[in-house]
Amino acid sequence: MSSKAYPLAWAQGDALRAAARRWQRRGLLTPAQQAAIEAAHPATYYRPNNWIRALLVSVTLLAAASALGFMLLLTDGKLNPLAYGLLVLLAAVAALEMIIKNSAHYRSGADNALLYVALLAWGFLVYYVNRNATSGSLASPTLWRWLLPMLVALLAALVRYADPLVAASCFVVVLELLVNVLLQSNLGRLLLPFGVLAAGGALLLALRRLPARTDYFYYHSAELVLRVLGLAVLYLAGNYLVVREGNAELLGGGSPSRQIPLAPLFYACTAGIPVAYIVLGLRRHNRLLLTMGLLTLAFSIYTLRYYRTLLPPEVAAALGGLVLLAGALAALRYLHTPRHGLTAAADEAATPQFNLESLVIAQTAHAPAAPEAGFEFGGGHSGGGGAEGQF
Amino acid sequence: MTDSPTPRLLAELVAQGLLPPAQAAAIGEDERTRPFSLHYELRALLYLGITLLVGGVGVLVYQHIDSIGHSVIIGAITVAMGVSFAYAARHRPAFTWGEAPRTSIAADYLLLLSCLLFLVLEGYLQVQYGVFGNRYGLVTVLPAGLFFYLAYRFDHRGVLSMAITALAAWVGVSVAPLALFTTGFPTRELSGAGLGLGLVLLAAGLVSERLRRKPHFGYTYMLLGSNVALLAAMVRLFDGGSGTEPSALGRALLVALLVLGVCTVLVWYARRTQSYVFLLLAVGYGYVAFTSALVILGELVGVSSAFFELAVLYFPLSLIGLAWLLINIKKVLRLT
Repeated sequence: MSSKAYPLAWAQGDALRAAARRWQRRGLLTPAQQAAIEAAHPATYYRPNNWIRALLVSVTLLAAASALGFMLLLTDGKLNPLAYGLLVLLAAVAALEMIIKNSAHYRSGADNALLYVALLAWGFLVYYVNRNATSGSLASPTLWRWLLPMLVALLAALVRYADPLVAASCFVVVLELLVNVLLQSNLGRLLLPFGVLAAGGALLLALRRLPARTDYFYYHSAELVLRVLGLAVLYLAGNYLVVREGNAELLGGGSPSRQIPLAPLFYACTAGIPVAYIVLGLRRHNRLLLTMGLLTLAFSIYTLRYYRTLLPPEVAAALGGLVLLAGALAALRYLHTPRHGLTAAADEAATPQFNLESLVIAQTAHAPAAPEAGFEFGGGHSGGGGAEGQF
Repeated sequence: MTDSPTPRLLAELVAQGLLPPAQAAAIGEDERTRPFSLHYELRALLYLGITLLVGGVGVLVYQHIDSIGHSVIIGAITVAMGVSFAYAARHRPAFTWGEAPRTSIAADYLLLLSCLLFLVLEGYLQVQYGVFGNRYGLVTVLPAGLFFYLAYRFDHRGVLSMAITALAAWVGVSVAPLALFTTGFPTRELSGAGLGLGLVLLAAGLVSERLRRKPHFGYTYMLLGSNVALLAAMVRLFDGGSGTEPSALGRALLVALLVLGVCTVLVWYARRTQSYVFLLLAVGYGYVAFTSALVILGELVGVSSAFFELAVLYFPLSLIGLAWLLINIKKVLRLT
């Protein structure tokens, strides 16, 4: 049995078709060539569009829950809880392997949901076996009894199914283990931000080796999620607000929180990391880095305002908006002709990692007393914020 | 984006004879050297800047309504509005009933800014000087008319949504004048008016496509119109028919049938434009309306005692049917 649940060719074909579409839009391929590539690498698996995938996830979860309920009814709930957990686990894995093998589901929503059900069942088993051994607190010295078996299962699932959500959970569990270990000693508590920082950095470094592997495309979506998490954790571990308030929380609360040791270092991180992300993103032409840089910059500004209120919010908003508007207009004009390898023109090949514009709209939707702006969507062409799902 | 596995993809295509080596080299060269597009990032920043600016100015104006010199405020806002509108007007595309070519991103956003500033200014004038007196209808119908004109003249879908929003506000103000402040939320009156407005918007969307008058505005009209109409109908369905006498039930049944009719139009439209959003709207609202129509029919023929047993059967079966429909949606709708 192969260590991977889905054929490698499916992921490879996805990458080829996406690249061919991109090149055709940029006029690097003729439509006939693109059609030939699509014909040579057809999508032979089953994956509906995103709306239906989301629906399939919930329908499958519901079906699994009702199957469990039916089982409980049938056996009158008299079996050992472990038996139910084991049964659900085995049934979910069997169903998962079957729909991949027989119906060629590839992240259709149904297979994702079955994988999650199996992992949840495993989580229940681990919890039930250790239910008296440990409390759920992050500082508990026996927490590893929960986390370690979970991590093993998650890693196995990640290698076999390459699911993005499983990848994210893996990283979260690793972080929890790390924090748990560090919290066992006073020195560890002091080193906590640096430990998390190192974990984020190590993840990003490890991910740089991935593109050279032959199975890169198989893990592409998991990689994307992990890179976002790695960048976010690297930033948050050095963010002054997070470190200071987290430290106060660990020392037993009390507000206002106390100043932390090595504060200048964290000031530097808070200010420097977003700038570094943005600069690196622009120089390496890496949209993910750039987007994360902009988001972390916004959080750094929030951090600054959290401790030092320089201006009343409405004045700050108006001035900031004016500066942003003027800056963006100037950049638009400056980059009208490409300079420094950058351009303001829409790159037909560039599909944003996610729709930044709709995110901004969601973030500012509850801004105080914005006049009845209605539900405007940016400007003419790209209006609609990505809701225009096409067949 | 520098994707290091790109050479591998190109090599594979060359090896399979799907791509001549020279072209593969050209593609690789393009991937390495083409400029990095900041198009979407800059647009997002423009949008964020406008939102912050207008939000900040709006709050500022209302907070300091008595303390700053009025003429200064009005002057500053008017100048900002005038400048951005002048820029937008200078770069406006020639008028066409089709989709005008984009001339300038900056002009698009500055038009949006000037429209938002117009709202701030209008609100300020009304609060401070009461220029419109108690004619609240006028306060809302003025921007609605102006924005509709600008949306069509400048071919701007964002301004069109603002115009539709202002129109909805006008309908609300005209139907239930100030009831909001006196007798609580006027659900009944508003749901009727909302239903009417939604149907008018739907018709506007269909007409603009049929007559080829800004056909790309159809999407905005249909999306806002269907949501307004269906939401209003839902409110009517669950709030209006509290009585169980046949006449109330009959009216509720009529509303449910109306919803099903609108949903049919949406399915037809979704198939025409190949848009999933409308299909999901239709399926979601249609399911609720169909279910309540069944319940009402059950009440009318007097099988309400058996409701529980029927519900146990109906819901799992209909949900399975719904899931089947969504899984096989392409086949059901005969789409490729």
